[in-house]
Amino acid sequence: MDNKIIGNIQPALPYIEIDHLSKVYGEKFAVDDVSSVVYSGEIFGFLGPNGAGKTTTIKMIVGLLQPTSGTVRVTGYDVRTEQLKAKASCGFVPDTPNLYTKLSARELLHFVGDLYDIDRIQVNRRIDELLRLFDLVEAGDDQIDSYSHGMQQKTSLAAALMHDPKVLVLDEPTVGLDPKSARLIKDILRQLASRGAAIFLSTHILEIAERMCDRIGIINKGKLIAVGTMEELRAMGKGETSLEDIFLSLTGGAEAAEIADVLK
Amino acid sequence: MSLTAFPSVLKHEFSLWHHVLKLLRLRWTLFYSGFKRASKRRKIFTVAGLIFVIAIFAGIFIGSMLLMNLIRSPALAEIAPDLDGFVEAIPVLVFAGSFLAILLTSFGLLLQALYLSGDMDFLLSAPIPIRAVFISKLIQAILPNFTLIALSGIPLLYGIGASGGYNILYYLFVPVVLAFIAMAAAGISSILVMGIVHLVPARRVAEVLAFLGATISILCSQINALSRGFDVEQVTPEMLADNSNVILSLANSWSPISWAGRGLVELGNGNWLPAILFTSLTIGLAGLAFYFSLTTAEKLYYSGWASVQLGTRRKKTSKHETLEKNQRLRLFEKILPAPVRAIVVKDILVTRRDLRNMSQVVTPMIFGLIYAVMMLRGGDDAPLGRGEAPPFVLEVIKSAWIYGSVGISLFVGWSLNSRLALLGFSLEGKSYWLLKTSPVSAGKLLLSKFLIAYVPTILMGMLFLLGITLVRKAPYSIVLYALPAIALILAGLTGINLAFGVKGANLDWENAQKISTRKGSGCLSAIVTVIYLGFSLVLFFAPPLVLSFFQLSELMGQLIGMILGGIFSLAAAILPILWVKPLVYRIGE
Repeated sequence: MDNKIIGNIQPALPYIEIDHLSKVYGEKFAVDDVSSVVYSGEIFGFLGPNGAGKTTTIKMIVGLLQPTSGTVRVTGYDVRTEQLKAKASCGFVPDTPNLYTKLSARELLHFVGDLYDIDRIQVNRRIDELLRLFDLVEAGDDQIDSYSHGMQQKTSLAAALMHDPKVLVLDEPTVGLDPKSARLIKDILRQLASRGAAIFLSTHILEIAERMCDRIGIINKGKLIAVGTMEELRAMGKGETSLEDIFLSLTGGAEAAEIADVLK
Repeated sequence: MSLTAFPSVLKHEFSLWHHVLKLLRLRWTLFYSGFKRASKRRKIFTVAGLIFVIAIFAGIFIGSMLLMNLIRSPALAEIAPDLDGFVEAIPVLVFAGSFLAILLTSFGLLLQALYLSGDMDFLLSAPIPIRAVFISKLIQAILPNFTLIALSGIPLLYGIGASGGYNILYYLFVPVVLAFIAMAAAGISSILVMGIVHLVPARRVAEVLAFLGATISILCSQINALSRGFDVEQVTPEMLADNSNVILSLANSWSPISWAGRGLVELGNGNWLPAILFTSLTIGLAGLAFYFSLTTAEKLYYSGWASVQLGTRRKKTSKHETLEKNQRLRLFEKILPAPVRAIVVKDILVTRRDLRNMSQVVTPMIFGLIYAVMMLRGGDDAPLGRGEAPPFVLEVIKSAWIYGSVGISLFVGWSLNSRLALLGFSLEGKSYWLLKTSPVSAGKLLLSKFLIAYVPTILMGMLFLLGITLVRKAPYSIVLYALPAIALILAGLTGINLAFGVKGANLDWENAQKISTRKGSGCLSAIVTVIYLGFSLVLFFAPPLVLSFFQLSELMGQLIGMILGGIFSLAAAILPILWVKPLVYRIGE
């Protein structure tokens, strides 16, 4: 394992190692030879236009999809051959919180605690903490089907944090959240990273990526076309300074922006 | 400061019915494009179905005309002189029945169209009059059932008209009056929907409706089986006359529900005054009811009254129900690993709380009860013939009859297991990601799904067996043998169903009532499990019966049966599961 220094604080461990990862549907490459590493204590932003392969990559990292070729290692364990160990250290928040709507948030968190075989006393303590943190104490015993989208999203994040994962993978976590909840999630992610967790985050909100992420990867048409810190990405571009301009320049969206200017 | 309105982007202002037609055309386009894109097989089925419906239409017309001619024939008139009155009561019954049928059936459809279809916000924000949206929704909701009622009712009414020599106005007004009655029923139904949704969330209402609908339809389908004891020969002329009088009094009553039929019969017979009175009253009242319902529904829906629940909307889970506090579940903690226990308890709660799931679990119970009642009605004793057979043969037949009780228990178990094991993984739906991303092995996932299907199946199967054998006063030796045999057979059944359930798992569904497996797994599992049940019954129960027949030890036969059947059942329980184990992590890909 290669170690790295993140923010001059501590030697970082490669918690997510993606090596020549590909996923092919018929003849179409949804993900094409993607390689990258995310270190402990790091927030990695994963950007790309619609249909670029972000969700497919994420699904392969958390074990929801099997890669056509290549490997993913989470905390050193191959997701394909040592999947239980890899999954035990990973938490996942999908873009749509498809939860068991007939359970309450409290029941769902108990369920997740049991799936990860966490000690019962610890489960109860953790549930109370998470419900308080996400402002769900009052609704904790209501069935999830009575929750708003934002409440479901927060429940989904609480479920992902139940076992205090070393790796947290989030697919568009702030979609549908009010500013207060979005801020809360950002704070939580920053805190988790400062405690040594690796965060892999896909988002369309470039402001979040620019302000929160230590490094950013841009995927387009299945290929990872750029990876680096904001400074490194700026150096790759043609003088653009904002992430939005860099993103549009790299993914070919700049022409679309010019067309939009005509309509103004 | 006042602002002048911007010039409207709408070039023309259209009438209400223009918008209604536009919305209905949109529905038609959706249907037609669905048909065009459908597979060839589906297209052929649709066309064949249409031809079949037309054939039924023609059949009802010809059949009713011939029947009415027969009823009105002079030969029959000599035996039963007042049959004309009875025939003229039929239109009254048809129209009253149509009104009630549309009132009841359009409730669920309107609930779907107004609250659960998800296009109301889009339509109400478009530059279309709200009234046009409501009219098109009402038409859309009643159209399927109205078509069915019209296809069966109109030929019957025309048949009556043709046999009675009714004038042309009768034929013209039959569809018109039927349409008015349908619209009035739909209008009243829409008010009912909005009133109920004001009190209970729409999704919950839909769940309750689905549960009631499934249970009632199963009961109705089995009424024939239950009423087997009804003897037509016991029907007396007095009973017929009593029933006929009830129908005639309904037809001649002053109730508005009878006006439509009475008006049309009078119209057919050329009695103009009562015809105009009843027909215009019917059309006027129906139109008024529809208009009143429409305007009220619009106001209720637009003001938001109809979708705001009174009191607390959220469903609290009982403290007693929480996973932690449920005392019954403490037992599981000592036996089962935490993830298995968690999945089992989760499935129990999810199934119990969703009435759409419950309706599918209750169905086999209803079937089981009905067939158990039928079996017990058939008598406690085996058909022993006329006594020519030697006593030991009679004993063997009696044993076989008691062993037959196992059949009904297995049938109940089979129908319940087909739901619980076959659809165990599919039931997870879009929430399966939670299990798939958690560190739970495929073995534990399969064990939990096995238990959630096997335990209720075995409990119900044994309950039925004990009930039936107790009523039949079966010997203990047979009951004690049949109980473990059933447990083993059902274990094998669960293994097979579960394997097909993994192979054909379908996570992409919205309505729990419409969950089905993919790749023909459901059909294949039904065939394989029936064959399996046949083989296992033979292996378990043939040895004791054969040894009894040869006047050898029945106990020895039971031992042989237990060994043969046991090995076979255990193999069926384990091998298919091992076969599909690697597929568990590929479900949903």
